[in-house]
Amino acid sequence: MTENKNPYLPDLATVIKVIDETPNIKSYQVILNDPEKMKMFSYEPGQVGQLSVFGVGESTFVINSPPTRMDYLQFSVMRVGEVTSVIHELHEGDQIGVRAPLGNWFPYEDMKGKKILFIGGGIGLAPLRTLILFMLDNRADYGDITILYGSRTPPDLCYKDDLKEWESRSDVSLILTVDTEYPGWDKRTGFVPTVLNEIAPSPEDTIAITCGPPIMIKFVLQNLAKLNFKDENIITTLEARMKCGIGICGRCNIGSKYICKDGPVFSLAQLKEYRAEI
Amino acid sequence: MISQRLREAIAGVFSEVDVALAYQQGFDKLHATPCFMTMPEEINKLIWNPLCVHNLTSYLPSLKKKKVAVVVKGCDSRTIVQFMQEGLINRENVVIIGIPCNGVISVNKVLHETNHEPIEDITFGENGEITVKTLKGEKTLLLSDVCPDKCKTCQYPTPIVYDRLVGDPITSDKSPDSVYADIKEFENKTLEERLQYWEQEFDRCIRCYACRNACPMCICQDSCIAETRDPHWISQRATLSEKFMFHMIHALHLAGRCVECGECERACPMGIPVNKLKRKINLDMKELFGYEPGIDPEDKPPLYTFKVDEVTIKEHKI
Amino acid sequence: MADTGFVQKEKLNDFLNELSKDAVVYAPCLEGDTVIFKAFDSGTTLCLDRPANNPPKLVVFPQSETLFSFKYKKDAEDPRKMSVELEANTDFPRAIIFGARPCDAKGFRIYDSVYIDTNTPDPYYKGRREKTMIATLCCSAPSPGCFCVAVGGGPAHREGSDVLITQLEKGYFIEPVTEKGRAILNVPRIEDGEQYAEEAHKRQLESHDLVRNPFAEDGQPKISRALFDLDEFWEHVVSKCLSCGACTYLCPTCYCFNITDEQALNNGERIRSWDGCMFSHFTLEGSGHNPRPTKFKRFKNRVGHKFLYYPEKYNGVIACCGCGRCIRHCPVSVDISEIVSYLRGPRFEFTNEPPESMGTDTNSQEQKQ
Ligand SMILES: Cc1cc2nc3c(=O)[nH]c(=O)nc-3n(C[C@H](O)[C@H](O)[C@H](O)COP(=O)(O)OP(=O)(O)OC[C@H]3O[C@@H](n4cnc5c(N)ncnc54)[C@H](O)[C@@H]3O)c2cc1C
Ligand code: SF4
Ligand code: SF4
Ligand code: SF4
Ligand code: SF4
Ligand code: FES
Repeated sequence: MTENKNPYLPDLATVIKVIDETPNIKSYQVILNDPEKMKMFSYEPGQVGQLSVFGVGESTFVINSPPTRMDYLQFSVMRVGEVTSVIHELHEGDQIGVRAPLGNWFPYEDMKGKKILFIGGGIGLAPLRTLILFMLDNRADYGDITILYGSRTPPDLCYKDDLKEWESRSDVSLILTVDTEYPGWDKRTGFVPTVLNEIAPSPEDTIAITCGPPIMIKFVLQNLAKLNFKDENIITTLEARMKCGIGICGRCNIGSKYICKDGPVFSLAQLKEYRAEI
Repeated sequence: MISQRLREAIAGVFSEVDVALAYQQGFDKLHATPCFMTMPEEINKLIWNPLCVHNLTSYLPSLKKKKVAVVVKGCDSRTIVQFMQEGLINRENVVIIGIPCNGVISVNKVLHETNHEPIEDITFGENGEITVKTLKGEKTLLLSDVCPDKCKTCQYPTPIVYDRLVGDPITSDKSPDSVYADIKEFENKTLEERLQYWEQEFDRCIRCYACRNACPMCICQDSCIAETRDPHWISQRATLSEKFMFHMIHALHLAGRCVECGECERACPMGIPVNKLKRKINLDMKELFGYEPGIDPEDKPPLYTFKVDEVTIKEHKI
Repeated sequence: MADTGFVQKEKLNDFLNELSKDAVVYAPCLEGDTVIFKAFDSGTTLCLDRPANNPPKLVVFPQSETLFSFKYKKDAEDPRKMSVELEANTDFPRAIIFGARPCDAKGFRIYDSVYIDTNTPDPYYKGRREKTMIATLCCSAPSPGCFCVAVGGGPAHREGSDVLITQLEKGYFIEPVTEKGRAILNVPRIEDGEQYAEEAHKRQLESHDLVRNPFAEDGQPKISRALFDLDEFWEHVVSKCLSCGACTYLCPTCYCFNITDEQALNNGERIRSWDGCMFSHFTLEGSGHNPRPTKFKRFKNRVGHKFLYYPEKYNGVIACCGCGRCIRHCPVSVDISEIVSYLRGPRFEFTNEPPESMGTDTNSQEQKQ
């Protein structure tokens, strides 16, 4: 963002495609109305944006399409409240506002040459998706890629097309799980942290990246510790109520750090240093 | 000394409760402050004098799961009665230590009398005289001049409900007609004058919600329509109309529930006479339904119930 | 040109009228018994005897303001589609704050680091700030609750001020502090201040020692992280807090805000309005999860932000200017200076043992807890 830009003023954008992911999650592909801006738009995997429906408000979502695929920006939105409900009513061609990119990103440079373990739950796959696709587009830079992903039921799994593709790739190992038995489901059942214990990945030369509901993150972090992952090698993304997205309005802090600006991506080592309650 | 007897009374019930709510000296000589006592040694901190203005019963609904001893004045006891009517406390969990009260001070009135000079010392005499010392010298004031308006017309100096009473019961010598005299006088103003008055007062409001949060009967708190988006009745704009709307709703939600403790007005950092509106509505409730909040635990607030025939309301002939 | 100026007591109103000619002058005015900063005009009664109930922060950071307006329009080519237009205004009129106190002026410096010295400066704050001149009146005596000297300020502290004013027997001694402030010496009705300089500087020094310092030993606030992180401590010291917004809204350094859309039919505005960390909705997330669900956690954040987090981020500067407003105007007299003074050592004398937890206040009826 340049010095003189009004950081509160969204860019106008158009929804070009809406994808039903799950009963309460939809993905939106958008392009900025100003072609020049769209061409110049650059961001890093893990950065977020604020989507506006004027008259209702603004909410934060991760840009879950990777910078290596710049035809559009994709956001996935779970319906939980005021803004997300009206976003769910949007159709192709509708106008929205976008303030992006905001926040920090995954330290993908430091991950080069390492094995990568993604652990996601529900909508928490969104930020991981950006990085997964980014890594697959730069496949040679990274070692083994393992993705452990779970949701409540099979229909609640996001990005079903991506999952199919990853499953079919020989250079990715995908482990899917749902909380309990479900008609027609022949893969694993059980909570993500439990399945993590079952597959017991080696911490050797491995970076673990996790995102999901707070309760899942909490137990995943505990279990990773038990598996001897070092705090520096565990990366997670945090959530907090947001408004300004630029570290001014004051609400998203953990200690002196603002999730919107210093985050949302943190290593467990950092979180411990900031005394975050997780 | 009442302070001493109060300490004894609290010591006497201390083992039965989780926490005792009383008063201690505040940050300066002019302020008392609520104190939550959980350890017997703390009882020595306790004070009782006309600085003890707060309505401590405001904390009771939030401590519903605890056993609580609470010090109440006559006016404060009406809150407890109202809580009982509305089922907001478990009476058996509350030990009420009542104190018959001759009136408290209004901090603002004392400061007004001393030209807002910082108070170095303040002492209270037997007969309602108050000596205040500032850097500019000493001044004697009368409690009857610097008490909140509610004390001037107090009908219930002795708590209506209590488990222990510290001190001898006092009967009010104030005329019941005096209670709403100021409201009636205010009503003599023209509509324009009243509107202008309220516009000037509410213009100062900073929407800090101290009035709401200090009010023992404002029980919505986090779900207050002043802040909700659903329903979205009030915007967050700091305009007069939005402030006005907040205060109208605040007042209407207290129709026949406001116990007139005056906490809203006392809490307001901007000196807005917010209790006046609620008292006006209470006067209407009294005239319409013959109901006075916080007097009879068995009663129900009129707007909580429905009667086929209201004796004081003339139905339109159909 | 003279270096300092002087305005006779009886000419003060005229002087302010002169100032009002090319800027909106905000000054402490009496309304009933309340002193508030508002636009000065012939109908207002100036009151310089005591600090105003509210700080002048509203001049640069209004209680609510429009970020931009939006207008929906039917698309000319395809009437089923709506297009939207946005319009923002960041051009503001000139303003003068007359009669801020040194703590009030210092408050703006706390804001500046957050709002201006960042890679995403806030154009509204910055725009107003640049257009505003701050003329500060030195305090001749502290008010109840004041503790400016303990947090790096003082009754004649200059930080944040463009002009410093000292009240003397006959009138007001006027000293520019910044280049912006020098303009005040060109205003008609001001005379050369040189002959009053000595008396004024003596006055300025005198009041310093009258201000209390609540922090024992070295007079500096120190926070023991061990005690700060102890929940029981907060439960013990802030049980009486009502979780309202008086302390943060009256604080010259509290800068938090909310953003909301307020819509009419096809147009509306995105506005920002004051918000504060003492309100439970401040951090409430869509899922219902709240990282600071109790008033204890919220109060801890307020003290933490002012005395730990902000200093950590900005060179040790404490984000409290010791104005004492939160103490004076808190409905239940919660005293932040007292609480910070307890935090000095790792242990707190709970008189006995820590009280057991008072429970949580996640449900709305228990919010006051
Ligand atoms: C860094 C980050 C990335 C996120 N990425 C995604 C994503 O990719 N997909 C997704 O579905 N959700 C994501 N969220 C959560 C999403 O922002 C909230 O669910 C959403 O803001 C709720 O808005 P609402 O208006 O529907 O809810 P309401 O409860 O009506 O909230 C009203 C307002 O409060 C704020 N708010 C409430 N909850 C949150 C929250 N959890 N986080 C931030 N602000 C909140 C918003 O300003 C919102 O407009 C992310 C949150 C953060 C902080
Ligand atoms: S306490 Fe006073 S300033 Fe605060 S919201 Fe109530 S009336 Fe307004
Ligand atoms: S400290 Fe006082 S002013 Fe601040 S929220 Fe608590 S009760 Fe309100
Ligand atoms: S925290 Fe209190 S004393 Fe400190 S600057 Fe804010 S209002 Fe003043
Ligand atoms: S104390 Fe609270 S309201 Fe004040 S600036 Fe800090 S976070 Fe914001
Ligand atoms: S969202 Fe405003 S500070 Fe983070």
